[in-house]
Amino acid sequence: MPRISVIIPTHNRPHLLIRAIESARAAATDVEIIVVDDASTDNTAEVCGQLAGIKHVRVERNQGVAGARNIGIFESSAQYIAFLDDDDLRAPGSLDLQADVLDRDPGAGFVCGAMIMADQDYQATGEIIRPRHISGDAFWSLLELDFPVMPLCALIRKECFLRVGLLDRNISSIDDWDMFTRIAELYPVTTIQEAVGIYRQPTPSSAQGSSARAAQLQLAARHQLKLLRLPRVAGVPLKERRLIRKRTINRVCDHLIWNAGKNHLPAGKLRPAAANIAVALKLDPLIPLRPSEYQKVARKLSERFRGFSNL
Amino acid sequence: MPRASIIITTHNRPHTLPRAIASAFAAGADVEVIVVDDASSDETSRICRSIPEIKYVRLDRNQGVAGARNVGLVASSGEFISFLDDDDVRLRHSLDEQIAILQRSPEAMFCYAQAIPDDQSGNQSPPFPAVCSSGDIFWELLARNFIPCGGVVFRRACLTRTGLPDASIPGIDDWDIWIRIAELFPTVCLQAPVMIWRQATPTSAQGSSNTVELISLGAKQFRTRWRKLPRVTAAARQRRQKAWRAFSENVVEHLAWETFRGLCEARPGRALAGARTLLRLHPSALLVLLRRWTRAVTIITLITSNRTAEDLANAKIRLKQIRSDVPRQ
Repeated sequence: MPRISVIIPTHNRPHLLIRAIESARAAATDVEIIVVDDASTDNTAEVCGQLAGIKHVRVERNQGVAGARNIGIFESSAQYIAFLDDDDLRAPGSLDLQADVLDRDPGAGFVCGAMIMADQDYQATGEIIRPRHISGDAFWSLLELDFPVMPLCALIRKECFLRVGLLDRNISSIDDWDMFTRIAELYPVTTIQEAVGIYRQPTPSSAQGSSARAAQLQLAARHQLKLLRLPRVAGVPLKERRLIRKRTINRVCDHLIWNAGKNHLPAGKLRPAAANIAVALKLDPLIPLRPSEYQKVARKLSERFRGFSNL
Repeated sequence: MPRASIIITTHNRPHTLPRAIASAFAAGADVEVIVVDDASSDETSRICRSIPEIKYVRLDRNQGVAGARNVGLVASSGEFISFLDDDDVRLRHSLDEQIAILQRSPEAMFCYAQAIPDDQSGNQSPPFPAVCSSGDIFWELLARNFIPCGGVVFRRACLTRTGLPDASIPGIDDWDIWIRIAELFPTVCLQAPVMIWRQATPTSAQGSSNTVELISLGAKQFRTRWRKLPRVTAAARQRRQKAWRAFSENVVEHLAWETFRGLCEARPGRALAGARTLLRLHPSALLVLLRRWTRAVTIITLITSNRTAEDLANAKIRLKQIRSDVPRQ
């Protein structure tokens, strides 16, 4: 039985997929690579058929990323599970490193590491996102959207899914946050500071990417109401729960306005900026009355213009 | 590795569970029984831990029946899989018979069979469905769910091609997955009962309000998912319309029945829920009703029943047999 299963959902991107598979193979010594071909309509099946040493699963009807990940879990036989998107890469040796951490800490549900940001050509941008140093209970931070975990940099114990259930197909784009939160409710979490994944960022200029981010945050804010009904949250006083909700809404709104103020408005992209601000207003209609928000936007803008004058 | 896995999902029913487990072991040779305990709050876990032969999976957070089935699937390892509810009973050797049928037809992905409905006082009705049809049952299945969930054996391999059951539609997740499998693969069947199927007591209010909810859920699923399956969108317009007509007639009938029952039992709330859902889902329902409920056989059955809960339930089963179980041409 292999030690680690790497689940790679893919849809119509055979040219990127091969690289992801190679990186997964280099990331661990005893690994089972499961490629879930989510109803691709191009030559993905052909490409996968030619690769030796992978488990290729073909889904006839599109299931979305979460559905494809579930099929991967269903097919996996290892004790540890890693998710890898078809356009991202795993750092060499990173899976072994994380599996050793989970071996040493048998109570932990998952371990997450740092992530190297890269551009469309896999060239590192120099930015590395390290997980905040949390050992043990990450539930409350995750619940408040204060502990970002990407599936790319996590290694999860398969047994967790048998206690908390699989991924939720109906909240695509935040299904991973939902899953990590539900696992962290019951299991402690560990972190390592080594880089384990290379994340291929979407082009910053794509407007679609940014309004998708607004929609994602809106969905997360709505889905949090469901997570607030988890037994561990239900156990705390109502006042505390209201505070959690308020902090989350503030955080989401800050992020939306920051996004609009820093990325969209200076670039003259009014539509995504409007989408961001509209979502923020929907979540917290009193935002225009909060002077701190104006300050934040002004600060971002002034930073931006200072940047221009330096040019 | 076992040949077959029977997945029993359970929630707070320790009194019927051991019987279901025993029947599952007796249903086939080389079978692994997986009990998924969907966050029961009673002595279910103690009872399950005292049966060492089973593979016991304990969910700490309630996932609903569909989510629990998915977890059972992840824990399973058999090539053939069957679901069983915690209050149902599998008949002896039935699993082996169904697996033999599947092995004879390698292109088929699932094999369904009849179930014997059993009300909780031990009265058994004739097996359902009266006639099992095999081959391509996709269009029939779109109109109504005639497959008792516990009577199905399917190949593990088909789920990787269709996707796992949808956890967001508990109660109709089985119907949905049969439709998705039948869209792609032919079906085989065994024209014999393989399980005893516990019906909710006709007097329990919970059963009926559920029916109305499940029907709305089914209608929503039809509009948002099933109607958009590639095989439906590729079909001729007439075929599509026929499918929708068959489905909606079935829906209308069920809801009208719920409304009627609510009226007879002097429960205006239930009647209202039924009527409201009926008109919302199907504004032209009254016409369909007029056409179908004015048939002599319906009126006679309704008049001869003396309108107690049990009689009504029996009348409904009789009507079902007269009408829908005979495949419509």
